[in-house]
Amino acid sequence: MIKLTHVSKSFDGGQSYAVKDLSFQVRKGEMLVLLGSSGCGKTTTLKMINRLIEPTQGTVEVDGKDVMGRNPVELRRQIGYVFQGIGLFPHMTVEQNVEIVPRLLGWSSRSKRERMQELLSLVELPPESFAKRFPDELSGGQQQRIGVARALAADPDYLLMDEPFGALDALTREALQQELLTLKKQLKKTIVFVTHDLHEALLLGDRIAILHEGHLEQIGTKKDILNAPATQFVRDLFTTREPGTFTLRDT
Amino acid sequence: MRLDALFGYIVERLPELWLRTGEHLMLTGCSTLAAMSIGIPVGILLSRTTWLRGPIMGVIGILQTIPSLAMLVFLLALLNKIGVLPALIALTLYALLPIARNTLTGLEEVSAEVMEAAEGIGMKEYQQLMMVRIPLAAPVIVAGIRTAAVVGVGIATLSAFIGAGGLGQFINRGLALANTKLILLGAVPAALLALVVDFSIGAFEWGLRPERKRDKKGSAQSFMRPLAFMLPVALILIGSVTYFTKPGWIFKSETRFETSHRIIRLATKNFTEQLILGEMMAQLIEAKTDFKVQRRFNLGGTMICHGALVNKEIDLYAEYTGTGLTVILKHPVIADPEKALDYVTKVYHERFNLQWLKPFGFNNSYAITVRAADAEKFRWNTISDLQASAQGLRAGFTAEFAERPDGYPGLRQTYNLQFGEVRDFDPSLMYEAIAKGEVDVICAFATDGRIASYHLKPLKDDRQFFPPYYAAPVIREDILKKYPKIGDVLELLGGIIDDATMQQLNFEVDAKKRQTAEVVTEFLNAKEILYIEN
Repeated sequence: MIKLTHVSKSFDGGQSYAVKDLSFQVRKGEMLVLLGSSGCGKTTTLKMINRLIEPTQGTVEVDGKDVMGRNPVELRRQIGYVFQGIGLFPHMTVEQNVEIVPRLLGWSSRSKRERMQELLSLVELPPESFAKRFPDELSGGQQQRIGVARALAADPDYLLMDEPFGALDALTREALQQELLTLKKQLKKTIVFVTHDLHEALLLGDRIAILHEGHLEQIGTKKDILNAPATQFVRDLFTTREPGTFTLRDT
Repeated sequence: MRLDALFGYIVERLPELWLRTGEHLMLTGCSTLAAMSIGIPVGILLSRTTWLRGPIMGVIGILQTIPSLAMLVFLLALLNKIGVLPALIALTLYALLPIARNTLTGLEEVSAEVMEAAEGIGMKEYQQLMMVRIPLAAPVIVAGIRTAAVVGVGIATLSAFIGAGGLGQFINRGLALANTKLILLGAVPAALLALVVDFSIGAFEWGLRPERKRDKKGSAQSFMRPLAFMLPVALILIGSVTYFTKPGWIFKSETRFETSHRIIRLATKNFTEQLILGEMMAQLIEAKTDFKVQRRFNLGGTMICHGALVNKEIDLYAEYTGTGLTVILKHPVIADPEKALDYVTKVYHERFNLQWLKPFGFNNSYAITVRAADAEKFRWNTISDLQASAQGLRAGFTAEFAERPDGYPGLRQTYNLQFGEVRDFDPSLMYEAIAKGEVDVICAFATDGRIASYHLKPLKDDRQFFPPYYAAPVIREDILKKYPKIGDVLELLGGIIDDATMQQLNFEVDAKKRQTAEVVTEFLNAKEILYIEN
């Protein structure tokens, strides 16, 4: 379980806040989507979970322990992270990219290899033809699958995903979204997923947290949010769109 | 020159060319390696400590702006040593800037996105550096090394000035002898070497690049890869091995003295007369004793030769009384040749434990020299005659003359002369300059063969400003005491060369482009002093 309690983050010594007094929980096994436009603080929030950014006030707990009391390197190795954009190491092969966290953790080469092959099969990139390639020899969608495989390598309980599909074309994005849903059912990970795409949020999220200018506007299932928008902002968010574009398939 | 003659000329010098190229590679390679071992860590340090960046890059940048020769001479004074060490240090300092700067730039340019990923998956700081930042910066770092090495090949040609060898030795000797072929023999291989070095580091960079799946396995490319990687290493190895072993077959003269065990190290300054005198002493010593002479010729000037002698890096060289008096001892001019010799002999003994032997006989004073045609036209006979028109004249002096108290500064005072323009020249280029009309007045050497061949006229020193410059061997007293035979042999040269003879010898080498050794042997044979006793 991940729990944020009155978390604020200021980058300029308190003059302005990227995130202000944020409290919510991520339940075990659920996929929570942080939804908001750019600059709303959703990525900052995500990075505070694995201490890439440290909160100015409030506490972030993972498994009941304050992250500020933990070794950041060890913490990060236990939390898979899929980065915005590419985030793969361009000088390493697919194989080396996927094996990097197990390597940092000192696994034997045999178990590293087995895990790598298992993961590449899982994301449907056969190891025999992909393991030795470099990131720039892959399509965008393939690269992001490797990103997911890398995040899953050490079998972490948590997965943080920072707009992983934002740079992909619509078709690829849709395919990957479906795959992620399948993966999630298979793996039973707790996932925090950041996006600015309403459709994606509704498709993927067990629950959705809507952020606006550093504040949490509302958190709940899509049904809660659609049926009972908590604020004017949330109401506007959904009514400015053509009704039906996001609800058809899911509700 | 006909092509086959040129070919023969090169073949004849091939062994030495090989040795000098090896030395050159050693100098460039070792200094680049040293600069890498300093510059890369410095670059890494600076990428992490922003506040140090300004001061350290500033200092390294300033080092880069010091003229190469000044740097060499400065290090010479600092280390009290001639030869390889100061050259290596100077080259290392020059190589530092491109390497450190490219390391810093390369590390900085790694995308923030990738570095965030490295941090985000849980790499420790040094892991981020070693596993991500440095590998991604490697191409830029290698490019810096490449720049440093190629520039190093060029600067290394100057190392010959302080006796460190390398291809610059041909260039130096060529300049001293006004011999274009010799200059090219050094300059062309140096340029080729720069290309080879550039190519080999380029190949190294290519070998460093990760192998792509699309490069077919077992193809020529994947076969070449390890070879490319080894190329610069091989170059440095070849250079170092050549340098340190100095294979016997390279020196024909060495095999001639298979039985010899003792060595006399003989130096000269960098102009023709010095080379002739040096070769003369060397041939005589080799003919009449069982010593082998190590010829450390063409050192870059009086202070370097004297410094080397005092520091026991060499055993003897030929010096001029006037130079010893005014440049080394900083004493005012003594016009009487006998008194001048007595004085330097006495003070050299007291101060440096060096002995002046019997002078060769000629007086190679400076001579303010003009074109013979001009002298006739303007009726110039003495230096005083120049006074009226000096403002409109362009003077070309050697760098040494321009500064020496017995050179231009003193001349200006004594004759109240102020030339319109004064330019510094390499001694041999100075004669070219006046012959081609680029300057009107030069400080020739009275015994220089080119005075006649270039149709020049030395003006009379009517106020007796220039001190006498009688040349004589200056030798370390401990050597003389240990091997009195050396002194006896060198005394044979006492008084046998007058001004006209020296001018003739210089003329043979400078104007007729004959081999120094050949001219010297011919002269010694004519004087019947070479093989009498043996």
